[in-house]
Amino acid sequence: MATRLVPAVPAKFLKIALVVSVMGGLYCLALYKHAQRETQRQAAVELTSACAAKLQDYALRAGELYRSPYVLKTTGTSSATRGYSEEDVRAIQRGCNIVADMQGQQARAGAQERWNSTRFSRSTHASCAHCHQNAGDKQDAAGNRLVGSNGLAASWVMADMYDRFTGLLLPYELRQMQCYINSSNGFKPNAADDLIRDVTAYSRFLSAALELKIGNRYPEQGMDEIPVSATLRRGDDYVRGAHVYHEKCARCHGPQAFGTVVQGRVLYPALAGPDSFSLDSRMNFARVNTVMPGFICRNMPLGEEGSLDNQECRDVAYYLSTLPRPAGDKQGPLVALWQRAMMTVMPPLIRYAESLGSQETSLASR
Amino acid sequence: MELDVAAGNLPARRKRVFTSLPRVGRQRAASGKTWAVLGLVAGFVLWAHLGSHLPVFRSHVSFERGWKEFRTAYSVTDFGEDGHFVRAAQNGYNVFFLTWKYAGRFTRKTAADRINACAGCHTPVDMAYAFVNSDRFDPKLGRRVSFEERVMRCFAGPMDGFVPTLYDPTVRDLRILARAVAHHLQLS
Repeated sequence: MATRLVPAVPAKFLKIALVVSVMGGLYCLALYKHAQRETQRQAAVELTSACAAKLQDYALRAGELYRSPYVLKTTGTSSATRGYSEEDVRAIQRGCNIVADMQGQQARAGAQERWNSTRFSRSTHASCAHCHQNAGDKQDAAGNRLVGSNGLAASWVMADMYDRFTGLLLPYELRQMQCYINSSNGFKPNAADDLIRDVTAYSRFLSAALELKIGNRYPEQGMDEIPVSATLRRGDDYVRGAHVYHEKCARCHGPQAFGTVVQGRVLYPALAGPDSFSLDSRMNFARVNTVMPGFICRNMPLGEEGSLDNQECRDVAYYLSTLPRPAGDKQGPLVALWQRAMMTVMPPLIRYAESLGSQETSLASR
Repeated sequence: MELDVAAGNLPARRKRVFTSLPRVGRQRAASGKTWAVLGLVAGFVLWAHLGSHLPVFRSHVSFERGWKEFRTAYSVTDFGEDGHFVRAAQNGYNVFFLTWKYAGRFTRKTAADRINACAGCHTPVDMAYAFVNSDRFDPKLGRRVSFEERVMRCFAGPMDGFVPTLYDPTVRDLRILARAVAHHLQLS
């Protein structure tokens, strides 16, 4: 018995030591990651060009009191509100950067400077500013906030309201999570993650800079949705939509809506294919048929906003919904597989069909 | 030395275990127990979903004294006479003024305690100002603190209780109450 016990004791000890060292290793890793995050919180923020301009316009700086130049300009008076500490300013700056350049394509250290946001996005194109344009605060040349421009400040003051799509009283943080899941075709960050909290801090700052009041509805909140009743009821037609798309949208978003990427930077995002929003996104016309048309009519084509009529916007949105895109969480594995197959098979087939069409056209012209 | 399984060389306790059941019988008993546990779990899940009739979502909110006056005084009706938001604000009101009753899970305070509700220390206006000033850097804690975290800390500290999760309706409804009051005060 004695000879059996001698090797048994070290074996048991080794097992315990192994478990303790693994747990200790994980603890040390957590400490290291926390320290890394803390260093990033303390570090100076290098702003994107859009954010530098915006935050300078709104005179964001640390101090006891904050006075909004925008409010002073638009109303002639400006009341002082509680100022921001150095830490708050950095959080707001980081939030603006995330909105303007979520993938970190303009950052020196890439997505690491955006709290590794790419962990939560399968799409390599997705960025908040694609839907929330001008860093979530779109204005015309005179400084008027634009109707249906999806302003983040207006969304913040109207957060926690009942959301008809989810059936929830939707907090601001949860809404951001949905964007990561559906619009970025990705995964849900934690509500307390810096990625979410910095965007909230930035949105709250915008609402203070624009002096928007909690619980008030502002026209720049969300999309200015276009239902069928806002058209002449000719019926939505994706063939008409395809025609309009190729005429007005394809020059930026590409003939198959895969977006335009130049030197690793997304100039125009994908509207179809693996880098676009998922089937569960509210931008998908097949899911919600009023949001995407509203976005198109108010914000597209860039520089010619308002040039499309309501029916054309609905047609284009309908056409886009027929293109292959990733399945969402609600669809299940079979639909996901089907969508994946379509995203792989359809693009070369369409290219081939279009090349045949162009050959026929050139022969006919001869 | 190799383990000698001959009954004569085993200690008495082991000998009993080894010899009380035949090998196949022991396996069957273990398998039967596993199936019984699985059956119990499956039965509970089926009962919870189909037979319990327990509502997953309760839209009913108890009507406490003072809510009618509060609703008028703080213009909660701006959000409608009734609806999800108004009911959440009403539940927030109940939690705020009768914490021991409506958030009893998160506090050890009882009706007998002098301070047994949020209203013991704060007013609804305080809450609204705390809400609009939240998400700021707290030099004492050395980090930014959200409104929800303040509520959670209140439950753990002054309310002598337990920390609700960030998603708990108690925390959410207190935030919504603060939002409704902030709207009345037109805070930004």
